[in-house]
Amino acid sequence: MSQFRIPGKGRVDHAETVRFAFDGREFTGLRGDTVASALLAHGVHLMGRSFKYHRPRGPVTADSAEPNALIGTSRGPGRFEPNTRATVQELREGLMCESQNRLGSLSFDLGAVNDALHPLFPAGFYYKTFMWPRSFWDKLYEPVIRRAAGLGRAPSEVDPDRYASRYLHTDLLVVGAGPSGLMAALEAARAGARVTLVDENPEMGGALRSDPGIEIAGQPAWDWLDGALAELESLGVRLMNRTTAIGYYHQNMVGLCEKLTDHLDTIPENAPRERMWRVRATRVVLAQGALEKPLVFHGNDRPGVMLAGAAQTYLHRYGVKVGDRAVIVTSHDSAYHAAFDLAEAGTKIVAIVDTRATPEEDLRAEARARGIEVLTGHTVTDTKGRLRVASVTVNPVEGGRIGAARLLHCDCLLMSGGWTPSLHLFSHTKGSLQWDEESRTFLPGRMTEDCHIAGAGRGLWGYGEALADGAKAGAEAATALGKKAGATPLAVAHDRPGTGESHKELPTNRKSSRVRAFIDFQNDVTAKDIRLAVREGMRSIEHVKRYTTNGMATDQGKMSNINGLMIAADAVGKAPPEVGLTTFRPPYTPTTFGAFAGYHKGATFEVTRRTPIDAWAEANGAVFEPVSLWRRAWYFPQGGEDMEAAVARECLATRASVGIFDASTLGKIEVAGPDAVEFMNRMYTNPWTKLAPGRCRYGVLLGEDGYIRDDGVIGRLGSDLFHVTTTTGGAARVLNMMEDYLQTEWPDLDVWLTSTTEQWATVALNGPKAREVLVGLVEGCDISAEAFPHMSVAECRVAGFPARLFRLSFTGELGFEINVPARHGLALWEALMQAGEPHGITAYGTETMHVLRTEKGFIIVGQDTDGTVTPEDAGLGWAIGKAKPDFVGKRSLARPDLVAPGRKQLVGLLTEDGAVKLEEGAQIVLDPGQPKPMKMVGHVTSSYHSATLGRSIAMALIEGGRDREGETVHVPMPEGVVRAKITSTAFYDPDGDRLKL
Amino acid sequence: MMTNQTHDFTLAEATARVRIDELAPVSRFSLRVRPAQAATLGRALGLDLPDRIGRIAEAQGRTALCLGPDEWLICAPEAARDAILAAARDAYEAAPHSLTEISDREISYRISGPAAQELLTIACPRDLDLLEPGRAVRTVFDTVQVVLWRDGPQEFRLDVWRSFAPHVRALLEIGQAELAAGL
Repeated sequence: MSQFRIPGKGRVDHAETVRFAFDGREFTGLRGDTVASALLAHGVHLMGRSFKYHRPRGPVTADSAEPNALIGTSRGPGRFEPNTRATVQELREGLMCESQNRLGSLSFDLGAVNDALHPLFPAGFYYKTFMWPRSFWDKLYEPVIRRAAGLGRAPSEVDPDRYASRYLHTDLLVVGAGPSGLMAALEAARAGARVTLVDENPEMGGALRSDPGIEIAGQPAWDWLDGALAELESLGVRLMNRTTAIGYYHQNMVGLCEKLTDHLDTIPENAPRERMWRVRATRVVLAQGALEKPLVFHGNDRPGVMLAGAAQTYLHRYGVKVGDRAVIVTSHDSAYHAAFDLAEAGTKIVAIVDTRATPEEDLRAEARARGIEVLTGHTVTDTKGRLRVASVTVNPVEGGRIGAARLLHCDCLLMSGGWTPSLHLFSHTKGSLQWDEESRTFLPGRMTEDCHIAGAGRGLWGYGEALADGAKAGAEAATALGKKAGATPLAVAHDRPGTGESHKELPTNRKSSRVRAFIDFQNDVTAKDIRLAVREGMRSIEHVKRYTTNGMATDQGKMSNINGLMIAADAVGKAPPEVGLTTFRPPYTPTTFGAFAGYHKGATFEVTRRTPIDAWAEANGAVFEPVSLWRRAWYFPQGGEDMEAAVARECLATRASVGIFDASTLGKIEVAGPDAVEFMNRMYTNPWTKLAPGRCRYGVLLGEDGYIRDDGVIGRLGSDLFHVTTTTGGAARVLNMMEDYLQTEWPDLDVWLTSTTEQWATVALNGPKAREVLVGLVEGCDISAEAFPHMSVAECRVAGFPARLFRLSFTGELGFEINVPARHGLALWEALMQAGEPHGITAYGTETMHVLRTEKGFIIVGQDTDGTVTPEDAGLGWAIGKAKPDFVGKRSLARPDLVAPGRKQLVGLLTEDGAVKLEEGAQIVLDPGQPKPMKMVGHVTSSYHSATLGRSIAMALIEGGRDREGETVHVPMPEGVVRAKITSTAFYDPDGDRLKL
Repeated sequence: MMTNQTHDFTLAEATARVRIDELAPVSRFSLRVRPAQAATLGRALGLDLPDRIGRIAEAQGRTALCLGPDEWLICAPEAARDAILAAARDAYEAAPHSLTEISDREISYRISGPAAQELLTIACPRDLDLLEPGRAVRTVFDTVQVVLWRDGPQEFRLDVWRSFAPHVRALLEIGQAELAAGL
């Protein structure tokens, strides 16, 4: 049995020991222990070193607010986690953990030299000390600071664990399963509501788990808890332990992080480590209780100094005495009860040092009866003990004067500065806080969400009040849900109500430069730092926080914010609410990245859309590129070809014979109805009325601003039916835009839109031999040049499949696009490959498609246009139906700046040296000799090496470009200025003869 | 509905709690028509088109699901495809509409078993307690638009656009393994 463990006491299983290691030393604890409670049972308080001064530290709490006892834990390769709170981490068999922030061993830390040098490291010392000389920053200061900064050691391997996600809908979500939360859940569940009750602890019950002497409804507290939990379960309440409500978002969306496996000895296969719950609750009850505040005095951070409530929890929940000789220092009644409980467990209470002059007589009487000395109106001026507190110096305070010192020997110092309602989640809702002058704390004010706050979370104290308030909140929530509810009163015996006083730092007679009174233990911020910040001009608490880093550690100032505020307010000379409280933000406690990422990692990181022909491309060695969410075949290297060689081969083969291309990703929209042609006339710039069924047209879509938004070939399949194609990336956007106009501007039109992008697989066949390859596979359509000219469309059968066959070209060659129902896409592709074999049919990817279209001067929306390019700018003025009364963007095209001369126009660019390929995005100037900054007249939009032309080609947007055709411009690059001539964009077959085959 | 493809899992427990089956293709159409003409078109198709979103009408193996005030999803055996198209064409004069075939646009999965509803909550933000058997809704699964049918208390169907289906399937299988793990 461990020295400080009390046999049979607590919620731990005394029959089951669990082995673990801390800094390489083997320990045993009990099932149900945390690392902290197990170490304390062995008398180990020293668990870490502080962040800045490397001071020895031990746990100051027994819960998730712990700032000191941060450890590294490991569950094997990739499963190292820094900054785990030892007070939260449950023991499991074989757990390996280590202390942090030390150079050398935990008990002899070389970094502690910082502590001796502390006058050199006041608040804001980075800003002052490392300013000069400037050149030292990069090489010396920053690397040193970076090495010294940070808590713990970052994991370096990929996290192999699974993380899960769930959505949950519930009528009522109750956060916190202490007395208030349990009663709220009970009342609402009894009224018939769907209730979810969450608590971050392994076991529900909250403060009652640390106060078993309370009697509720005639039962000992823990018996009552057993009954309440059983009733909740029988009422169908979802009980979630080890689950932290991390954030409270809009419209009662609450994020929960559930820990599933960190406490298990063996983990079931495929089990997730944590699960993020996104809960939509009709009502929320926040019953998060209150956090105990430390007192601020010199040496309040030594191992062995902890909150009185924490000592009470270690005693009752874990059966662990935190020491044999305790001094209590308090400004609140609650610490008396901790002292009495510890005394009963055999800890010698050296004295209760009360900062108040006249504490409650009942408590003093009980202390007397137990033989405990109470020192009223006292302060603490010093503590001693290097790795564990060994003595406390206390002094009476009378009329502001510090009296004679008295030395009290002890092995633990238990403090209580009163309690702060835990308002973090309420703060997330942007609910307002109100300063309560009487209790000197912030309480919840105006609500912005459908929530209730119950119990200690709104400043109530004592179990009777907490239970009643929880019942009331539960009944109110049930009523709001339309249920009939009534709050049942419960009798509480041996209740422990209490009050307290709130302090700034305790008075002292030490020289102020010699006082090390810590506020933020995790960031090593002292009271002196706060006062320094105010002296140096910080007035807002937000500035004080950032200057001192108070409350900026992973605990978000759960213990330090209020004390920091009290001292800052005192230093500024204003009331605390005028100085303000900093904003709490999610998550409530540190949460793993994995829990946020959930399933979005590895193969399911993001949707990857694949076409029906993707499998063939993969089997044939395609290199892929992402295009919006799709992955598309980029090029098909053969026999060790690089990209340039593969693309050159694909281009030449297509121009010489026939190439085949998977165009399935093109957006497709079916526009159908009696007003289809009218709708098309209004949406696109082109005229559609005279387009006969069976014919196609290249359409340009503008925004209201007159700039090009999308383009594509559109086929008319009947008087009332159009097959619209869009760019791959624009498919969803274009459909949304069309629906928007239809529903909001033209609800009178009888026309309907349906996305058919994925209904069809689309294969493009291009090249002089395209017809020869296709003709044998087509049924029900004469595809001869005469019967089926360029820009035709027909419904027929291809390779035995029902098809929509287009004759069109994005390459300048004779071209067809064959659409078949998607399930047949791969079979169609294979049939075409087979039919094309005698002609050396060549599969090509998106890169070759880009080269071929650039050779023809065909634009890609989003590459050659950037949202500020009009049809006229792009050389597409011919696509505008001049006689049409209106179309989207028409009015804007007449705006003065859109018709002004000198707009950037799309032109061709040929470098003087055809071997030089321009960079896409490169800026263009007219005179490279002009002084900097030079006047840039445009930029390169597309640039490729053309195997067909044996040289590089490019397109560019240049001011007044078309009038400058034949002029030489200059492209300044890091290697030198490139000279290029402005040309037409039709680099290849300018007369389009090859389309006419 | 006939099962086309069943993915067997090594974990027997996985399928005991929830099964994921890809279903054989059926004929599917997106029907758009003004509410005033819906009855006329419904008569032509042999269906009483429901007028509340999420409601389903069934007759002679044909199903109509109301997805919007002027939008229905029509499902039928593949053999009925041509007859449906012809009947709609005949009614076009009296009830102008759009009946667009989307049979190949989507893949359907059946999710069934005691944990079927729980499995869907890994990525579907709707309150599935409110989705009664015999109803269906358009919703999202993860980031993907789906039509979610509830065929029974423990039986759901998901219609997913073809290229998004592998992503949805992968998530469902991760969830299935997670449910089998029992945590």
